[in-house]
Amino acid sequence: MTGRFGWRMWAVFAALAVLPTFPFMTGYRLNLAFDALLFGIVAMSLDLLMGYTGLVSFGHAAFLGLGAYSTAILLERGVRSLWLCLGAAVLVVGLYALLVGYFATTRRGIYFALLTLIFAEVVYTFFRYTMAFGGSDGIQGLEAAWVLPGVPASAIDSPLKNYYLVLAVLFLTYLACRTLVDSHFGKVLIAIRENEDRARFLGYNVRRYKLAVCVISGLLAGLAGAIYPIRLANATPDLLLWTVSGEAIVMVMIGGIGTLVGPIVGGAFFIVLQEEVSTYAPKIYQAIGLSADKGVGLHFLIIGVILVLIVIFMPKGLLGALRPARRREPRLAAPAPAGGGK
Amino acid sequence: MYYNRPVSSRRRFEEELGPAWRREARPSFDNMDYIVAILLPQMLHGLVFGATLGLLALGLTVIFGLLGVMNIAHGELFMLGAYFGIAVIGLTQSFWVAVILAPLHVGVVGALMEVLTLRPLYRREPLYGLILTFGLALALREIVREIWGGDMRRIMEPITGSVPLLGMIYPRYRLFLLAASLLLLLAIWLFFTKTRAGIIVRAAVQDAEMLDGLGVNVPRVFTLTFAGSAALAALAGLLLAPIFTVVPTMGVEMILLAFIVVILGGMGSLGGSVLAALVIGEAQSLFSLWMNPQRVAIAIFAIMIFVLIVRPRGFFGREGVLE
Repeated sequence: MTGRFGWRMWAVFAALAVLPTFPFMTGYRLNLAFDALLFGIVAMSLDLLMGYTGLVSFGHAAFLGLGAYSTAILLERGVRSLWLCLGAAVLVVGLYALLVGYFATTRRGIYFALLTLIFAEVVYTFFRYTMAFGGSDGIQGLEAAWVLPGVPASAIDSPLKNYYLVLAVLFLTYLACRTLVDSHFGKVLIAIRENEDRARFLGYNVRRYKLAVCVISGLLAGLAGAIYPIRLANATPDLLLWTVSGEAIVMVMIGGIGTLVGPIVGGAFFIVLQEEVSTYAPKIYQAIGLSADKGVGLHFLIIGVILVLIVIFMPKGLLGALRPARRREPRLAAPAPAGGGK
Repeated sequence: MYYNRPVSSRRRFEEELGPAWRREARPSFDNMDYIVAILLPQMLHGLVFGATLGLLALGLTVIFGLLGVMNIAHGELFMLGAYFGIAVIGLTQSFWVAVILAPLHVGVVGALMEVLTLRPLYRREPLYGLILTFGLALALREIVREIWGGDMRRIMEPITGSVPLLGMIYPRYRLFLLAASLLLLLAIWLFFTKTRAGIIVRAAVQDAEMLDGLGVNVPRVFTLTFAGSAALAALAGLLLAPIFTVVPTMGVEMILLAFIVVILGGMGSLGGSVLAALVIGEAQSLFSLWMNPQRVAIAIFAIMIFVLIVRPRGFFGREGVLE
């Protein structure tokens, strides 16, 4: 194992592995933990693009949603093997990521963000209006997947099994990401982030590196998406909405860009905050005599304000601000020339 | 996934009535009635929508040229216009007072936004602006939901009835909307070409530093322009409200269209934005005659992807803007 995957990470993962043995981890909390870790994976995969390569993707929801839909479509049609579902997701998301990456990596900065956004909207529109895939309701009421093909006893059907599934995926994807960014490949990505032209002059095929990291990042998000319907038993087009892509960026920014661990924390924070606020805010509203339905989205207000404050005061994110400056701070794309942001 | 789905009334209409309505109304092209009864009104609809979309996109592109910020919260300013309008109408019972007051107040909100949040980002990368305004959009949307609730609302058309026009019957309010939007676009054009203030804004787009050197208070130019673009978005939101429904998520869908318009027109090009807005308005309107809403949306995206590949800078984009 490389140096950066130190004993602290092993300790964290060990703690996560024994977490369900504590009595306060009820089924509800385990499900919440599932969501938190799942979006942690999505945010971490986005961090490969944002934090390490300096490409801000505003279309990450498409990878997540495509993965979810490919699993849901297979489960709906009676294919119950987990491995087939994951394999199909990898195939579908990989092809889509190649397509988007091919066009989007020709452009930088805002254009990259907007191109990924538009491509994701195409995917959203497709699933939103295709009645074969449930239209706006999505695919509902799916059955559990089986780890061993043809063995119903191995179904992933309890919150505990779901939790260990997402933990395993998180562990493997984190391992992959950490190895990747510490490798030569990762160093080239950072070089592209710092100065794309200089990386090109050094002889690196910048476009190919960008395309590769697009596909890898998309695949990781797609894997997370592929296990999404296994707990929630559904896949809806709302998962593909561009605001979900924005939320992924929020998770990365809150946790700290270019740290890998930060975005996982950011994703978990986002989900837990969302769940707690949307559970308790309506109750509080009701108690003081206000309409309860107004409190449901209150977390977006909190998250929005936190995001604004972080962008202004702590552009490196929570973890980035805590961590001593080991090397040059991660940046988003090339610096703008001085003068009015232009 | 946690949102009310942003479905505009236009789209809902298409879903409920569209297929049946369209099946009946698909005669051959040699039929004069078809042109008068279907094609012409639809083209006018497209023009009306495109002109209002142009108001939204103009503000977006000026801010982009000036501050280098792709303002995602622009859609929420559009939405705020409609809600402030509802508040003013509730107090005064007059749409016309709202048309004056709501944009003014949203302009103040815009100015505050610029001074408090965007000013600290002037010398950072443009992408931070994109992320920041996403946060602002989330917050504004929720504030509105906290105050007014998430239910759909309507503003009644201040001008009712229809008039005969070119052999068809066309609603008066839409004609008013078209006239108002075109007049506003003309006024904006005159502002940018004939007035000193407009020329200063254009100079700031060209080279803010040089303008600063010439003794112009550039931060004030930025703030006022941002306020102006916010007011313009609010006006568009209020004027479109009687045609669409008013919900806190109404900006989410519009901002995507406005983005597409700005990119198509060429980042930072004012004329390009207006042209692209009309093109998109017409395209959306006419395509929906022959296609279901899914294909309409995908066709619009396809146009944009095609233009970006063939002409990466859009219709009139300048070289080197954020590349």
